[in-house]
Amino acid sequence: MFVSELHVAKINKKHMKPHNLLKKQLLLLTLLLSVITGLRAQTVPATIDSSIYDRLNYLEEQVNYHKSGDDHFMVVGLATFGFASNSTTNILNGVSTNSKTNSLGDADHFEFSPMFLWRHGKKFLMEFEPSFSNNGLGVNWADISYFAAPNLIIKAGYFVLPFGTYSKRQAAGWINKLATDPMGLSGVPTTDYGVEVSGGLPMGSMKMNYDFALTNGSQLNADGTLSGGNIVDNNNNKTLTGRLGILPFSNSSLELGVSGMFGKVGTPGMINERAKGNMYAFDLNYVKTFIPFLVNIKSQYNIVNVSKVDYVNPVDTTTTYSFDNHSTNAFVQFSIRPTGIQALHDLELAGRYTTYNTPVNSTWGSDQSSYSVGLNYWMSWRSVIRFTYEKYTGNSTASSVLNAYTGQTKSNTFYLQFSIQL
Amino acid sequence: MKKFNLLYKVSFALILLFSSVTLFSLNSCAPSKAVAAKSGVQLWSENCQRCHNTPSPATFSPEIWETVGLHMQTRALITDKEREKIVEFLKASR
Repeated sequence: MFVSELHVAKINKKHMKPHNLLKKQLLLLTLLLSVITGLRAQTVPATIDSSIYDRLNYLEEQVNYHKSGDDHFMVVGLATFGFASNSTTNILNGVSTNSKTNSLGDADHFEFSPMFLWRHGKKFLMEFEPSFSNNGLGVNWADISYFAAPNLIIKAGYFVLPFGTYSKRQAAGWINKLATDPMGLSGVPTTDYGVEVSGGLPMGSMKMNYDFALTNGSQLNADGTLSGGNIVDNNNNKTLTGRLGILPFSNSSLELGVSGMFGKVGTPGMINERAKGNMYAFDLNYVKTFIPFLVNIKSQYNIVNVSKVDYVNPVDTTTTYSFDNHSTNAFVQFSIRPTGIQALHDLELAGRYTTYNTPVNSTWGSDQSSYSVGLNYWMSWRSVIRFTYEKYTGNSTASSVLNAYTGQTKSNTFYLQFSIQL
Repeated sequence: MKKFNLLYKVSFALILLFSSVTLFSLNSCAPSKAVAAKSGVQLWSENCQRCHNTPSPATFSPEIWETVGLHMQTRALITDKEREKIVEFLKASR
């Protein structure tokens, strides 16, 4: 037993020697590494850390300097540029005259409009859109919105009136499906100074939205047309404009709207001082994907009634004349885009029929209609190249007695247009 | 005048109908469970294309999307909840 234990001890001793050597080598190596690390920590790394810290401090200062507070400012905007080739024929008293124009810049539709949006927190938004178009500088809107409560927005300033939806939602060049706007929409002033309350309301599976504005209102001109956007009201009455919209389907694909605009348009002390305006608009918007197509249908019908008053005869200013000041305009627009077909998903086909009838026996009476067809190539979600062809027919219903009758006018216009929003 | 009277009556009836629905909705102003459960991406695809093409989330920074969301709400009159969900989706999907 004793001999056996001694033998084992000898064997262990014999085999332990290399282990001890290894242990010593490891200890030496650890000591060496510790010394080197310590030295590096005291010399070279100190300078690296210092520069990193300096850099970090500088970046932190920069971030703090630029860190957003409650104010947020952004500039977006749109530009529309194009070419229009027009051929017009007018027949008056059996005499036909032709005219042709080719215009770069497409004078009627050129627009450069930066838009400034300034948000203060989540309650205030200022919107300002100056616009250079038709050789002049104007303002599309300049207003401030206060998000007062859930689904209640109070707006004040110079804004687009809630009369129909085209002017407020579809008129922008990069949104429009055709190169032109439907005729007659400017027969009712589209912007004005005032205050507005609006909002969207959930209603089970449906939705509603409301939009009411109290503004200075329109002014009846000497020929019976309306103009608006006056910062000084031409009378003491304010005009109420309102729209109610309903989206009956839970997927928001259909929206139906009814609008009204009611107010005095006459000017005190003038021949038309008692004139009132009652305008109505009905709009429809349907957008739905029927795989592989995105279908888009938009329509609006405007009715303008102004009280029957006397107007000064432009031929003989010592006499007056009168007419039923009733105008209507309507458009139906259809577009289809094969969003589900890879090779064609950037293309869109659009068509529109527009009609615009102005008062008979006025100086500007006419029955007008136009057909427009177009092909759009969407370069991105907000930039488009449009080819539009428009055929127009206008039959004058203006008074011959007032030397205002202009006969029949027909025109064909081709548009090539580029529009972008940035 | 008959035409105007008819038009006036039709318009008045429509306004009355819309007003009644508005009053009703103000009293029970809540979306259904299915509508309330809609995600931001679903609301983005349904509502933006009502007026224009659906925007790419990469277009703007998160801060700017907040501003754009408010601007769009004043135009399309979407509800506050819809705006919040759409903006959150756009911010998260950049």
